[in-house]
Amino acid sequence: MSENKIIVGAGEVFGKVMVFSGKAACSDGLDIVLDAGARADVTLIVLPGASVSSRFSIELAGADADCRLSGIYLCPDGEKVDIRVDMKHLVPQCTSCQTFKGVVSGFSSVNFYGKITVEPGSQKTEAYQANHSLLLSDTAKVHTEPQLEIYADDVKCSHGATVGKLNEDEQFYMRTRGISLEDAKVLQMISFVAPVLDGIADEAQRMKLHEEIENAIRNGFGK
Amino acid sequence: MSENKEILKEITTKEYEHGFVTDVEQEFIPKGLNEDIIRLISMKKEEPQWLLDFRLDAFRKWQKMKMPSWAHLNIPEIDFQDIIYFAAPKKDSERPTEVDPELEATFEKLGIPLHERKALAGVAVDAVFDSVSVKTTFRETLSEKGIIFCPFSEAVKEYPDLVRKYLASVVPVGDNFYAALNSAVFSDGSFCYIPKGVRCPMELSSYFRINAKGTGQFERTLIVADEDSYVSYLEGCTAPMRDENQLHAAVVEIVVEKGADVKYSTVQNWYPGDTEGRGGIFNFVTKRGLCKGEGSHLSWTQVETGSAITWKYPSTVLKGDNSSSEFYSVAVTNNMQQADTGTKMIHLGRNTRSRIISKGISAGRSQNSYRGLVRIVSKADNSRNYSQCDSLLIGDRCGAHTFPYIENSNSSSVVEHEATTSKISEEQLFYCNQRGIGPEDAVGLIVNGYAREVLDKLPMEFAVEARKLLQVSLEGSVG
Repeated sequence: MSENKIIVGAGEVFGKVMVFSGKAACSDGLDIVLDAGARADVTLIVLPGASVSSRFSIELAGADADCRLSGIYLCPDGEKVDIRVDMKHLVPQCTSCQTFKGVVSGFSSVNFYGKITVEPGSQKTEAYQANHSLLLSDTAKVHTEPQLEIYADDVKCSHGATVGKLNEDEQFYMRTRGISLEDAKVLQMISFVAPVLDGIADEAQRMKLHEEIENAIRNGFGK
Repeated sequence: MSENKEILKEITTKEYEHGFVTDVEQEFIPKGLNEDIIRLISMKKEEPQWLLDFRLDAFRKWQKMKMPSWAHLNIPEIDFQDIIYFAAPKKDSERPTEVDPELEATFEKLGIPLHERKALAGVAVDAVFDSVSVKTTFRETLSEKGIIFCPFSEAVKEYPDLVRKYLASVVPVGDNFYAALNSAVFSDGSFCYIPKGVRCPMELSSYFRINAKGTGQFERTLIVADEDSYVSYLEGCTAPMRDENQLHAAVVEIVVEKGADVKYSTVQNWYPGDTEGRGGIFNFVTKRGLCKGEGSHLSWTQVETGSAITWKYPSTVLKGDNSSSEFYSVAVTNNMQQADTGTKMIHLGRNTRSRIISKGISAGRSQNSYRGLVRIVSKADNSRNYSQCDSLLIGDRCGAHTFPYIENSNSSSVVEHEATTSKISEEQLFYCNQRGIGPEDAVGLIVNGYAREVLDKLPMEFAVEARKLLQVSLEGSVG
């Protein structure tokens, strides 16, 4: 396992997009410390075929630090994805926002563990986390553990997690307008995961990833 | 601010209302835990051999187990050999069938009248004092409908087949450390059986009182609702103020057959310890219901305000198709209290539904955690769960935590969880203060509003008490 320790200095911005594809199983992790006013934007993308175990440890160590951490996982067959996030608010006035979304089918299994810790005295913290999965087969599994540990009172923290299926009303709407069921499902899945990509600043990179994800969904789940 | 401090001072010196000790002659067995003690308890209760074997089996399992440490709690070392496992008020030899007037007065003081004519209309009570049941009211009225409501030890003698059939069918002997301990040494509790198609005409209730020093209470409750029956069951508890910690490790098992409906409500008000965290009850209980038959329904409502440490997860196993369950909880911690509480919803049957509403309130230097599991197995088609966990923080030295576990293996089922953490807004407080409502009352008002969704689910008799309790528990937390 490769451990990358990154210290983002005061007022600096760190951005990273991690894309995993191919058959090999791999594990990776990021260890980030944010100083005052620093910002980190990290996006994790797991494409079909990749079994990934990924660990993120983020410390917001200076006031006004901001962290955006997002991820997409597409697991149509037998992938095993394990995501672990440890978001620590050590000082007041920091913000963090996590969004993880994915589509899970076949025999794959996804484990998500996301913990937000607000240390004593870290007032005015804003920390949000969302983990939403679409579960498309009875042989696949999604386990999610969003955790909040809060030791300060003047904070806004929330987490939300859902594991669900595709909305049938939406499918019906599209089918009445001449879109085939397969296409409708693909469109639903794309629109489900697309918001995660919005955080990527580089437009060219974002467009490229968008295309890759669209193809992956079409080929992986569109059958 | 000075006014606030005054209120604070006044309140912190205020005593726990139910903290008195009843001076009755009691009989104890020696301290400690071994097979001989278990044989002694069993002998004192005149139990049949099968139950003694059950206890010994549990004890042997327990010896091999370790105290669980996964909870977000700081539990001091408990010396299980330093506990008296059985304490009972002595029966007056001249009036063997009547309740000791001293005990009657105790329950009267706690607001639990043991005389039927005086009792709240429509509530039958089983009053448990330390290790024995003192009195069960309205038994005749209930038996006309075929309902059995009696102390557990009596049920063992009179309905051995029923007890044997259902005992440990929901919470197996070796389920967890405290359940195993309870299975080995359990004293009294309530047994309740609602026959087929009967709607229980009154609320059934158990009231648990720990009185004796150095003892633990290990009650066992078993509720069986046969096909298409209905029962609403209430549970309340208090204990005297002491500097030592006392252990309360109960097991509650509920069996809900096809089409039956059970509502289980708890108002837990064990002594929470003083402001510095000295003393208080360790409340380590295992409560579980089995929705066995099709279309069965079980609803849990709990208001947790007492105990130094609470470790409690009332759970439902949704085995029957179309069965459903709800869990409504308000947990309040103040001063040095710790709570790790929540629920488990295990969806095994098709079209099963569950709903979790949990409201945590932490004040002082307390730690309050919600921990809940929602599991949907791959055969549980079209199941649905919705969980909402809100935490309210009062003061900057307390903690509020949320630990949900969501496991879904079925593609037609949907699980939703959301949690928020916030504090009482300055605007709301200001609004109240401006209109002449003092800070204490304002907090009480806001908290009651916040917990209302849960309080509304309580039966009427309890709702009033719970509202008051909430107010009292939070007194002294503003400032």
